[in-house]
Amino acid sequence: MANLDQKSPNVLLQSLCCRITGKSEAEVAHQFQYAVRVIGSNYAPTIERDEFLVSEKIKKELLRQRREADAALFSELHRKLQTQAVLKHRWSVLYLLLSLSEDPRKPSSRVGNYGTLFAQALPRDAHSTPFYCTRPQSLALSYGDRGAGLSGSVGTSGISSLGVYTLNGPTPPPPPLLAGQPSQSAAAVSQMLGSRLAWALPTSSSPSAVLAPPTTRPPLGPQVPTIRPVRPRRDGDAAGEVNEAALVRDILYVFQGIDGKFIKMSAQDNGYKIDSKVVLCKSLRDTSSRLSELGWLHNKVRKYTDARTLDRAFGLVGQSFCASLHQELKEYYRLLSVLHSQLQVEDEQGVSMCTESSLTLRRLLVWMYDPKVRLKTLAALVDYCQGRKGGELASAVHAYGKTGDPQMRALVQHILSLVSHPILNFLYRWIYDGELEDTYHEFFVASDPNVKTDRLWHDKYSLRKSMIPSFITMDQARKVLLIGKSINFLHQVCHDRTPPGKITPASKPADTPKDAAELLSDLEGAFQEKIDAAYFDTSKYLLDVLNRNYLLLEHLQAMRRYLLLGQGDFIRHLMDLLKPELARPATTLYQHNLTGILETAVRATNAQFDNAEILKRLDVRLLEVSPGDTGWDVFSLDYHVDGPIATVFTRECMGHYLRVFNFLWRAKRMEYTLTDIWKGHMCNAKLLKTMPELSGVLHQCHILASEMVHFIHQMQYYITFEVLECSWDELWNKVQQAQDLDHIIAAHDVFLDTIISRCLLDNNSRSLLNQLRAIFDQIIEFQNAQDSLYRSALEELTLRLQFEEKKRQREEEGEWGVTAEQEAEEKRRIQEFQDTIPKMRSQLRILTHFYQSIVQQFLVLLMTSTDESLRFLSFRLDFNEHYRAREPRLRASLGATRGRRLSNI
Amino acid sequence: AVLAVFSVTMASAANTNLNAVRETMDVLLEISRLLNTGLDMESLSICVRLCEQGINPEALSAVIKELRKASETLKV
Repeated sequence: MANLDQKSPNVLLQSLCCRITGKSEAEVAHQFQYAVRVIGSNYAPTIERDEFLVSEKIKKELLRQRREADAALFSELHRKLQTQAVLKHRWSVLYLLLSLSEDPRKPSSRVGNYGTLFAQALPRDAHSTPFYCTRPQSLALSYGDRGAGLSGSVGTSGISSLGVYTLNGPTPPPPPLLAGQPSQSAAAVSQMLGSRLAWALPTSSSPSAVLAPPTTRPPLGPQVPTIRPVRPRRDGDAAGEVNEAALVRDILYVFQGIDGKFIKMSAQDNGYKIDSKVVLCKSLRDTSSRLSELGWLHNKVRKYTDARTLDRAFGLVGQSFCASLHQELKEYYRLLSVLHSQLQVEDEQGVSMCTESSLTLRRLLVWMYDPKVRLKTLAALVDYCQGRKGGELASAVHAYGKTGDPQMRALVQHILSLVSHPILNFLYRWIYDGELEDTYHEFFVASDPNVKTDRLWHDKYSLRKSMIPSFITMDQARKVLLIGKSINFLHQVCHDRTPPGKITPASKPADTPKDAAELLSDLEGAFQEKIDAAYFDTSKYLLDVLNRNYLLLEHLQAMRRYLLLGQGDFIRHLMDLLKPELARPATTLYQHNLTGILETAVRATNAQFDNAEILKRLDVRLLEVSPGDTGWDVFSLDYHVDGPIATVFTRECMGHYLRVFNFLWRAKRMEYTLTDIWKGHMCNAKLLKTMPELSGVLHQCHILASEMVHFIHQMQYYITFEVLECSWDELWNKVQQAQDLDHIIAAHDVFLDTIISRCLLDNNSRSLLNQLRAIFDQIIEFQNAQDSLYRSALEELTLRLQFEEKKRQREEEGEWGVTAEQEAEEKRRIQEFQDTIPKMRSQLRILTHFYQSIVQQFLVLLMTSTDESLRFLSFRLDFNEHYRAREPRLRASLGATRGRRLSNI
Repeated sequence: AVLAVFSVTMASAANTNLNAVRETMDVLLEISRLLNTGLDMESLSICVRLCEQGINPEALSAVIKELRKASETLKV
């Protein structure tokens, strides 16, 4: 202010006096003297010179008077003031203005505020838990009468008292009323509350200041702002007994976990103990021990939340748990701040007030009962949840909700809804979008990043059983896994890019914890419905895509027709074409030759009308060649699968199919061989009628052949009808009714397993299979023997015919028919031939015997097998008990197995 | 604003200074009116001068309040 007159303060002061009182200078002499004295005595301010603080106070005052527009205006003006930089002592000017400001409302209402303030409920936060609003009403009980009693005069009165009480005068105590509290999160809330109280308090405290005589109070020097009230505390001397008020103050500290003056945390007892040096009466000691339990509980919960916030890998669920604990603690701190401010009030009220309605240990006991119960629940939760995270944590919290106490249940339900909110978010994203973003491994669906797309369905996604919360059943969890898996399968393997919104009508995901709470309360109904709906829609869509775009069912049928020899005409033609090729040794076979033959077969039969997609997957495969193999041993058909179908027809499945094909192919070959033998019989029987000596041998051949035909016939019937057709029917039914891909895969696996075990291809039936192979080998042997027999017989026949022909010819020419030596030669030759017949006969006999023994062994093994259908096969094979008559073992084993069978039933 | 100060002459520099002071007083008056302190312009300027000279505002406000009360009782 360089341009104004530099008047001395006294002059200014005098003119001020004149101005305000409106009198002339002479008349204000008295006041002027007083003013000079006041100002002279109290030169240094006792509060902080903080402009910001003052301006905030002004704003708050304006807001309190509900003049928000004015508050904004003030901010504008203040900013302008700051930019102008004319004033040097802005803060003091502002402070002055503030202290001179008057509430446009009635001054007496300020005292009434005090009582009504406590009568109001604390604001109900969206996250606040239900039971705190009752608290202030109970406090209001003691203060209602106080408020009424203080409706006296507001201003200051005595002059001399002013000097000391400017501190507690109309100026409000500074905002860090409750600055001693460690919790920063609570500071803002308690500040607001505290300042609200603070506004109300000093106006009522100033009249009381009048009551006490000023001279007993020591003068105050400038003090650092503390939360301690102005008057010296009556802590009592160290030697004497500690009185209750001091204890109360201590207890309030202990409630927050800070060591008080007398009550400290003792590590070895893990509890709050009263200092043994302190002299206390027993009741007080007991009560304060009970109260300090709260401090212990508070510490426990606090330690957990502090430790967990530092833990980076704790995950979303854990963080929400800590957040909910934090909220609870906040409520607790609010209560503590209310208590603190009450304590403040008392201290300022003076001695006369303390007996009526002050804060005693008993009152604290009563008021802190509910918070104690809540803190106990929280501490128990914290204990139980140590070291858990993710879904496990949710299960732990849920377990605690199963209690009869309604308060505890409400509290735990609230925490549970917050805690399960992230899990439900994961879940909804997974079932509607198929996305899984779970950095901390908290969700119960785990994805293995190493798995490639061809094994996506089987291996990539799995259930993390430990993370399934206890309120989600295993069935629901499996369905959830399936849904997300289907979506991912569609996207990656089927390359189907329809947005998930089209698959299921998108329902609102759980956006807020309130939704989560609603959902949790209705787990059986709404939640299950959601999951079921998503499951049905997604699975149906997946199956549609597979069947429409990838022809899954067609491929299944193609497998049946080609690999399982279902397409009879094609197989017969193929075998006819391949017969000459496959008779050669395996090493001379070339794949392209065989493929060409395959193509021919396809074109010539009904197979040509099949879907081109299917035909192009059909191929020839040559198995590994061992020495001595003919073509028959290494030939196999193959069917190529790729893409999504490979999920159903996995590599193992294809391996199974090839083994079954091998078995069926061999059996078919036996059938064909016997057909050839029969043909040979029919053709040659007529021809060889002229050689009666062969009739015995031929008869033997016929018998053996028909035995073999019967056997193979029954085997083929068994394989085709009992094994293949029945299982296929079951499979087809299941596939038609399948609701999701897992069902299809399972049904298909069951089908293959049944076939393999019934075709004697599994490990248990190895001996049976060996027997069967042996039988097949014998049939081939027989064929060979038969062939050689016929060859020699036919040769002999042709020779004889030639001889006869020659004889006749010579007779026609007029010569002797045969010469004596020709005839002798012929006779000799015939004799030779006839000598070979017994050899043939014995060979055949050996063959027959061998064959029959193998068959009998086979039958014995069949009898004792565990599979029902195999036992029935044995019945069919031996329907007229032909073998049983020969084989004593069979008789014995029949009886034995019958007994066993009865016991089974 | 700084450039504006440099660009004028000394006389007008004094002028702007005076303007600034006047503006400041206006602002303060506005604030005082908002806060309903009951101070008129002259009293306000005296108070501001006193504060600038280092008087304790608490004491000063106490004095003013006392004076007001006294004037009331005197009136009555």
